[in-house]
Amino acid sequence: MIVQEVVDLLQAEVVAGIGKCDNEISGGYASDLLSYVMGQGKTGNIWVTMQGHQNIVAVASLLGLSAIVIAGDVKPEKETISKAESEEIPLLITTLSVFAVSGLLYEKGVSGA
Amino acid sequence: MMRQFVADLHVHSVLSPCAAVEMTPRNIVWHAAKHGIDIVAITDHNACDNVVAAFEAAKGTNVVILPGMEVETEEEVHMIVLFEKMRQLKVWEQFVKLHMSGRLNDEKRFGPQFIVDAEDELIGIKPEMLLTSLRVNLAEVCEKVNCVGGICIASHVDRPANSLITQLGFIPPDVGLAAVEVSRLTNPSEAIKRFPAIGNLPIVTSSDAHTINDFLSGPRTVFYINEPTLSEIQQALKGKNLRKVVRQ
Repeated sequence: MIVQEVVDLLQAEVVAGIGKCDNEISGGYASDLLSYVMGQGKTGNIWVTMQGHQNIVAVASLLGLSAIVIAGDVKPEKETISKAESEEIPLLITTLSVFAVSGLLYEKGVSGA
Repeated sequence: MMRQFVADLHVHSVLSPCAAVEMTPRNIVWHAAKHGIDIVAITDHNACDNVVAAFEAAKGTNVVILPGMEVETEEEVHMIVLFEKMRQLKVWEQFVKLHMSGRLNDEKRFGPQFIVDAEDELIGIKPEMLLTSLRVNLAEVCEKVNCVGGICIASHVDRPANSLITQLGFIPPDVGLAAVEVSRLTNPSEAIKRFPAIGNLPIVTSSDAHTINDFLSGPRTVFYINEPTLSEIQQALKGKNLRKVVRQ
């Protein structure tokens, strides 16, 4: 599955990194604690979170994540968007909850590994 | 003699990966002296390697340095911890070192972590990743800090990231916080209405400066105290012995 398919599935808005929506998704990870994402997230994972501050982009870039979904109608900070743009990390926003996003992804075969 | 002291209790130096390179201890002290900031706490993320240089730089000036750190707990809550004496901060630093994540900093993504002396000379680069959480929770941090004789102030409780209120949803009543800090985003008089969780805790404001421009634009807290020490500030926060917080 690629990021663009997630965009369509969630009817999400892509606020940065639109040029990388062909990134292949290796699996999914959901957490709001960045240190756990760094410890447990894997390259190519799509990350579902409610954190909107710019350090999420540094973490995604460090791990080589395929995309970040900011769930629960959280609006990312301006710096987050510009940093995701320059780091070419697709940043998706949605009003759906973390639980709903994870469920929808799981249904489509994105596993938690 | 009792008088007003202007304090900025939350200032980052070049050791913090997110701080600008102009934030050397010498430059911070110079600007503090020029702009009438009497008390400055150097509070880098999970480290304190530039505090000694700040003490050195402040010699012969009217600026008083408070040794401190901005700690990130396991819950990713940011806490300002302040001590009276450097030796207490060193004890605290040992505790922090035992609970580091073990990750190394990625300078390209998070920023460089410079250790400098009082003349702005580069002494070294801190290899550990500072912009991450320690493996120790909020209650343990507060207990240890209080045990060493320091105080804990919850950083920028009005901000959406790394604040005690957003991370936990409430302020634990039993951890012994000395105060909560409100950032430049919120007028302190409105803070209590917007964040009722603050309750009866004293409120301070600080610049959380990452640039000299942040530092000069404030905010700061004005204390009415007898001398620029942590114990006087503690009394002011409690409103004891005629000491008080004049203005946030």
